[in-house]
Amino acid sequence: MSIINRLRMSAHLDEAALVSLWTDATLAAKAAVHPHLERCPACRHRFAELGSLLVTMRVDAVSEADEHFSAERLAAQNAQIFRRLEAAERPARVIAFPTFTQPLTSRSSNASRWVAAGLAAGLIVGVGVGQLIDLRHSLTPNARIDARLTKTAAPVTTASAAPLPISSGRDEVFLSELDASISRAPAELRALDAFTPRAGDQSR
Amino acid sequence: MTGAQAAGLHGREADSAAASAVKAMQADGRHAEARERYSELVGRHQRRASRIAFHYLRDAAEADEAVQDAFVKAYQHLNSFREELPFEVWFTRILINGCLDRIKARTRREKWVAPMPDGPTGERDFGERVAGGGPSPEEQLLSRERRETLARALARLPERQRSVFMLSHYEGCTSREVSALTGLNESTVRVHLFRAIRKLRALLAEGTVSGMTVEKQRVNH
Repeated sequence: MSIINRLRMSAHLDEAALVSLWTDATLAAKAAVHPHLERCPACRHRFAELGSLLVTMRVDAVSEADEHFSAERLAAQNAQIFRRLEAAERPARVIAFPTFTQPLTSRSSNASRWVAAGLAAGLIVGVGVGQLIDLRHSLTPNARIDARLTKTAAPVTTASAAPLPISSGRDEVFLSELDASISRAPAELRALDAFTPRAGDQSR
Repeated sequence: MTGAQAAGLHGREADSAAASAVKAMQADGRHAEARERYSELVGRHQRRASRIAFHYLRDAAEADEAVQDAFVKAYQHLNSFREELPFEVWFTRILINGCLDRIKARTRREKWVAPMPDGPTGERDFGERVAGGGPSPEEQLLSRERRETLARALARLPERQRSVFMLSHYEGCTSREVSALTGLNESTVRVHLFRAIRKLRALLAEGTVSGMTVEKQRVNH
């Protein structure tokens, strides 16, 4: 063995060397072996101190964790894990929202749909028929005018028995002249007249 | 081969067999049986997993959730488990990743939300205060202070050094196991462990000195 090696072996191990020794021993799960350690009680003592510090750290850390995780807590954790696994494997449940007192798809809803359709159809037919009737009336203006004339003539005959004021007599004359002029008017104007609303129509 | 190593080897074989059986049952659609067989694996690794999660998160409730999540995730992804890797290693990797995600999320949250203050004596749980029959209050206080100092020192280590230290020292993993768990090569694991211990020693010495200084100042006043 060379002098340098002997000197090196006799020199005390520094902090890094001790930690390195301890690291190697821990990772290999073996006891630390170094020739200097066997011969030097001071270094052995320092190495033992380092080891005891680290062991205290481990014991503290493990006992602290174990204090928090008692057997009951682990049992509860276990149960929770299996509840979650079971829930994850169960098929998804469809939750009805919003909840109605009667289901949306029932027989009554079909019936009400038919009733609504019938009412709508009736309304359409009614409007259509009404339009047809109006159209027919508009196509026969003479009949309409005749009907109006008889309507206006009737009160004159009934009113003739009673004494009329002077102004109503004048009106009567004016109206009969107007009717006479209408009956003499050309067919195009008569059709236009049939479309024109009357005061009597408005009041009805 | 020591007794513990032999037990570990048998445990690994049993884990591997159980994991394969669960996988096969899942593939056949026999879910109830698969869950029952999986309970064997959960029972074997639950305590160790809780310990690891607690060391990372320093919060029992959060560690509990992290362990649950890891077991559920492992069960759901068991078809991606390769038999050549021990189940323990595969599962611990899932657990550690979950813990690291939680730490990241917590750091983000703490940026915006002020933390709830602890009680006047620093307890988090009433049960801790009233528990009787254990060590004396003085011992409890000393022990708590020591643990807190250690936790603070550990928290100041870089993430990889902390992981390597906890896995190799607390959990007794070999360099090969730590390498498989962390994805680092074995020589890097050794370097990280070495640095972690040196830094921890320095931090603890610093903490002890500063603690003593504070104590002396209190006495003088």
